[in-house]
Amino acid sequence: MSSPANDSNLVEIRDVTFRYGARTIVDNLSLDIPRGKVTAIMGGSGCGKTSLLNLIGGRLRPESGQVLVDGLNVPNLNKKDLYALRLRMGMLFQNGALLTDLSVFENVAFPIREHTTLPEPLLRNVVLMKLNTVGLRGARDLMPWELSGGMARRVALARTIVLEPMMILYDEPFTGLDPISMGVIAKLIRDLNQTLGITSIVVSHDVAETALISDYAYLLGGGKILGQGTPQDLQKSTSPHVRQFMDGLPDGPVPYTYPAKNYLDDLLDEGRA
Amino acid sequence: MNLPRMNFFGQLGAGTLAAIERLGRMALFLLEVLGHAGAMVKRFSLVIQQLYSVGVFTLPIVLVSGLFVGMVLGLQLYNTLVKFGAAESLGLVLALSLLRELGPVVTALLFAGRAGSALTAEIGLMKATEQLAGMEMMAVNPVMRVIAPRFLAGVIAMPLLAALFSAIGIYGGQMIGVGLLGVDSGAFWSQMQNGVDFHEDIMNGVIKSFVFGVVVTWIAVFEGYDAVPNSEGVSRATNHTVVYSSLAVLGLDFVMTSLMLGEV
Repeated sequence: MSSPANDSNLVEIRDVTFRYGARTIVDNLSLDIPRGKVTAIMGGSGCGKTSLLNLIGGRLRPESGQVLVDGLNVPNLNKKDLYALRLRMGMLFQNGALLTDLSVFENVAFPIREHTTLPEPLLRNVVLMKLNTVGLRGARDLMPWELSGGMARRVALARTIVLEPMMILYDEPFTGLDPISMGVIAKLIRDLNQTLGITSIVVSHDVAETALISDYAYLLGGGKILGQGTPQDLQKSTSPHVRQFMDGLPDGPVPYTYPAKNYLDDLLDEGRA
Repeated sequence: MNLPRMNFFGQLGAGTLAAIERLGRMALFLLEVLGHAGAMVKRFSLVIQQLYSVGVFTLPIVLVSGLFVGMVLGLQLYNTLVKFGAAESLGLVLALSLLRELGPVVTALLFAGRAGSALTAEIGLMKATEQLAGMEMMAVNPVMRVIAPRFLAGVIAMPLLAALFSAIGIYGGQMIGVGLLGVDSGAFWSQMQNGVDFHEDIMNGVIKSFVFGVVVTWIAVFEGYDAVPNSEGVSRATNHTVVYSSLAVLGLDFVMTSLMLGEV
């Protein structure tokens, strides 16, 4: 089950194929996530980025290939081992996924209460320290619906780091945020990575913010790697796929129009369909 | 999958297979929930929280309905019984109708509409907003943390609610029969006391409401957990909960009544 993974890589994806029905989402993909770095996985909507995170987190099973996390092949783990591995990884969901019936404090305390028997005074201190890290110690008594999008994501981030994971998976952390909140989240991702030595995988289509904080980036399209390198390398790339994505061009290798039959035929076809 | 072009038999077969597959998933889901029920003994506070939202919030509608059903029964039964000179039996007939049939069945239908639909919508929305996925990624099994306490709460609450429904129904019938229509109070209560059998009548009613509790809550939590995670999916699932559990209650009531009476 475990293989002698390269020590410098925390996650190694090997020849992974994942299909959803007849659609191939991830196509024979191989990539490495180095330990202690911020690795960005960029790509347009529906390119398989989020599926990749779910494959790493064991929420999806690949049709073939290996997903090695810290030497463990995730698809082969039984539920107990998978849950043990998940205790060492955190995932920040796009909308935070806070439990709506619990306050901010209780949301952050949730993983501790579920997995440990920490005495209440100690638990309180741990939760307040994590909330302080994201600057929301004062918001501990608010309910999730009283938070802005950026605050909700920061609370979720505090909850993610409360058990001190080795790795955090960020699913579109910048989507739908105002520029200030975006900057706050970007700073937090970078800071947590440096101060706690957490390996971070940031899935995003936000080129500018992601490039600022990542050490290495993969550009995915159609379930394959279209380009990779440091953000600076990608900026300089001349590959048409990379250029279209980095420059936000409406048409290019990724076509503007959804595949369809000949336009004229289609218009004349009415009534015969 | 080109459903519209499939012939009739193809569609029938596909529909049947899909329905059987779903029933299979439902059965496996129940097994998983029951597997976690033991863990709830240690964390009974989770069940108590749910008992509050499932049971206490359903109480007003159950009590008000029970009172009116009892009052209507009092009027209707008196009208018929008095023709045969048997108005003193009002208490007995009223108690039997409520304990054996109306208590468990009407409570289950009200429970499906009030608590079942709320459970489905809550769990479906938790799924749609990735709260369940979030728990999984925190290494917390949502079936254990979210589903099992709600299921147990439903199963515990239903017989209690049915008992309260019957009790307040009898009180409503007594108000009309004794208070308004002049049935003798002593006869009303003593006939009831003599005629109602603990095992035959009360326990059979309790068994019914326990079974309804299992079925309605099972359907409700499964529909929520299995809902398509968007607004249309959750609304459809909520709708299914009310329709399926009402049909299941009425169908099962017939089956259980025939078994208990031994007539069929």
